[in-house]
Amino acid sequence: MSEKTEVDLTGAKQNTGVWLVKVPKYLAQQWAKASGKGEIGKLKIVKKQGKADVSFTLNEDLTSLSALGEKAASVRAPRDHPFTMHSVGGQTLAVFTETSADKISLEGMVVQRAECRPAVNENYMKLKKLQIEVSTKPQRLTEQMDRAVTNNFKPVANHVANVEYEKKKKAEGRMVRADRQQVMDMLFSAFEKHQYYNIKDLVEVTKQPVTYLKEILREIGVYNAKGTHKSTWELKPEYRHYQGGEEEIKSD
Amino acid sequence: MASLGGSSSSSTEYIVRVPKNTSKKYSIMAFNSGDKVNCSSWTQARMERDMSNRRMYGVEETEEGAAGSEFGKKQREEARRKKFGIVTREFKVEDQPWILKVNGKAGKRFKGTKKGGVTENASYYIFTQCPDGAFEAFPVNGWYNFVPQAKHRTLTAEEAEEEWGRRNKVVNHFSIMLQRRLREQERGPDDDDEEGEKGGKKKKKKGGRGGDLRIHDLEDDLELSSDESDSSGGEDGDSKPKKKGGDVKGKGKKKKKKRGSDSEANEDSDDGDFEGLEVDYMSDESSSEEEAGEEKAKSNKEAVPKGIDEASESEEESEEEKQNEEEGKEEEEEEEGKKTPVQTKKKRDSSGESDTSEDSDIDGEAASALFMKRTPPKRGGGRGSGGSSRTGSRPGTPSIDSASTSNTLRAAASKLEQGKRHVVGGSSESPAAKRLKMESSSMAVTTQSPAPSGKSTPQPPSGKSTPSSSDVQLTEEAVRRYLIRKPMTTKDLLKKFQTKRTGLSSEQTVNVLAQILKRLNPERKNVNDKMHFYLTE
Repeated sequence: MSEKTEVDLTGAKQNTGVWLVKVPKYLAQQWAKASGKGEIGKLKIVKKQGKADVSFTLNEDLTSLSALGEKAASVRAPRDHPFTMHSVGGQTLAVFTETSADKISLEGMVVQRAECRPAVNENYMKLKKLQIEVSTKPQRLTEQMDRAVTNNFKPVANHVANVEYEKKKKAEGRMVRADRQQVMDMLFSAFEKHQYYNIKDLVEVTKQPVTYLKEILREIGVYNAKGTHKSTWELKPEYRHYQGGEEEIKSD
Repeated sequence: MASLGGSSSSSTEYIVRVPKNTSKKYSIMAFNSGDKVNCSSWTQARMERDMSNRRMYGVEETEEGAAGSEFGKKQREEARRKKFGIVTREFKVEDQPWILKVNGKAGKRFKGTKKGGVTENASYYIFTQCPDGAFEAFPVNGWYNFVPQAKHRTLTAEEAEEEWGRRNKVVNHFSIMLQRRLREQERGPDDDDEEGEKGGKKKKKKGGRGGDLRIHDLEDDLELSSDESDSSGGEDGDSKPKKKGGDVKGKGKKKKKKRGSDSEANEDSDDGDFEGLEVDYMSDESSSEEEAGEEKAKSNKEAVPKGIDEASESEEESEEEKQNEEEGKEEEEEEEGKKTPVQTKKKRDSSGESDTSEDSDIDGEAASALFMKRTPPKRGGGRGSGGSSRTGSRPGTPSIDSASTSNTLRAAASKLEQGKRHVVGGSSESPAAKRLKMESSSMAVTTQSPAPSGKSTPQPPSGKSTPSSSDVQLTEEAVRRYLIRKPMTTKDLLKKFQTKRTGLSSEQTVNVLAQILKRLNPERKNVNDKMHFYLTE
């Protein structure tokens, strides 16, 4: 349970540098739709006298939006995204991964932080407009109901549900007393699963009439009136063999 | 990858890929810049989820089915919870904090808590460069802020509050933790062996300071005690300047009796300075109090006489206490919940004892002095054996406490009886004294026992006593004034009529006050479990 997973520190040792990039939601959604090798676009880095301009161009095939429904066809995701670069500052950011097998490894340290911004153009504005429309829709609607809610009910001789219940009970019939030994065996197997039982539950399990069942229980079991297990039956101590998982044949 | 050359700029293009089949989940491990964490310097690290919040599953049911009935204990529990509308939040393993241990047991420990709201409006991606020059982008699953965990021992919230109250007085801050360790050591020698050792180490460093709070006037005592301290739990304030030591010890002692009193303002704090001078006076009374009895307790003014009784008792006990004292932090905690009578007593006692100007408020540090009296032998024994008496005396104290309170109850009751008898006879000292005081004229002095009357009669004309200027005579007028102004408990009233100022003995004050209250018949209400009297006119 508390197995400490050894962290694979190769990434840290090699001082692998990675970039942490903040990407807008719609773009992330498009990236998730990538097919094949997973190519989503191209990153262009222009180094100008010490300063670097980074920009990302989304692949053509990924610009079709489907997230926003019918209107999506007219609007396309913008393609150009310049990156705004930030330095990490004093903060140490490390990246670690967790596999499904609970293996943790340190991938590396963040050396650059960036924000992916869409190039502001007509297309983008349209996209934004669409998003705003979606988000401003109220979450709660007012609907008109067909019939008013009322708690006044007409009196009925016998409710439908009741009638059916009684019919069902009649169909089942009364419970028949089975052989004493059989019943005991049933009880023993039931008590193997749980220690405490309610009399009603036992009736349901054994399908025996209550008086008969109680008779047998008095013979092999004991009734707990007080204590934590309120009004439950349990086997007599000499019949019990509760050990961790192992079920033994109870002495009879 | 195409590279385009430029004259002063060079641009390169890289392909960005988002791998599809990653079984790895990426997360960010963020450290504070101030912690100066260098991951490359780690030799070994272990990380696991912190499951300490898993309290949902409650009592784990054993496999043998010992607990549940067949038809679902679980279902029934769930149904109950739904019925009462208890909504328990699900325990999600992914949201639990991480515990990171670097460089083994001796290394650093970090706790990483998940930061919420990271993936709500924007996604974070990690861009790594592959050997072939292309970038791969992985989405970040979660952001965890890792903070280093303190390995050194810290104070609990309650202890921190106490120390806050003492911050102006405490000079030696090292002793704070040292004392705590020693306390714990005494509390549970089996548990706290480590702390004891640590305490021992620290003690050696500082020459055995910290520990019990005693009031010592002589430097010799201090030095002596520092030698003994190893065995009996040490001395507080060895390193402090002597005058401060006195202060702190006095405070500490008070602390022991009434925890948290420092934080409460007491209107009569000035009066506390004079209380200590009454020691001799009080000790005379102790014998007579024993007879007082339960009736006093039963009367509605029981708190009044009882308070004085207990106070006087405790005054004398506290002297012994001074010698036998141990640190009382646990006792304070214990005593918190004691009954009011004992609290009253405590208050009087502590206000008497404090030579410092610290406020003496009634806090339920119920009668450590009370059972001080009963258990000095125990305590004495304990001292020698290294403070185990604390644990020893602890279980004893509740019973002792009840015994002692019953004593005082009896004392109080008998006192009241006496008082009543006086009243009935019509020749009591108290009403006479009252009348005298009120009218402040030579009244017909009815037959009185010479001794008490002697005490009370000369008072009004001469206005004796009171080193302090204010004359607070114990008159019905005065009491009425107070009660009209605001509701007060008997304790409060007693405080107003300090024996020093009124010139009455504590017993007399009690009697007179009881009489006055009977006459006034104020209304009562219960505030904070204390009975307050008040008048409305």
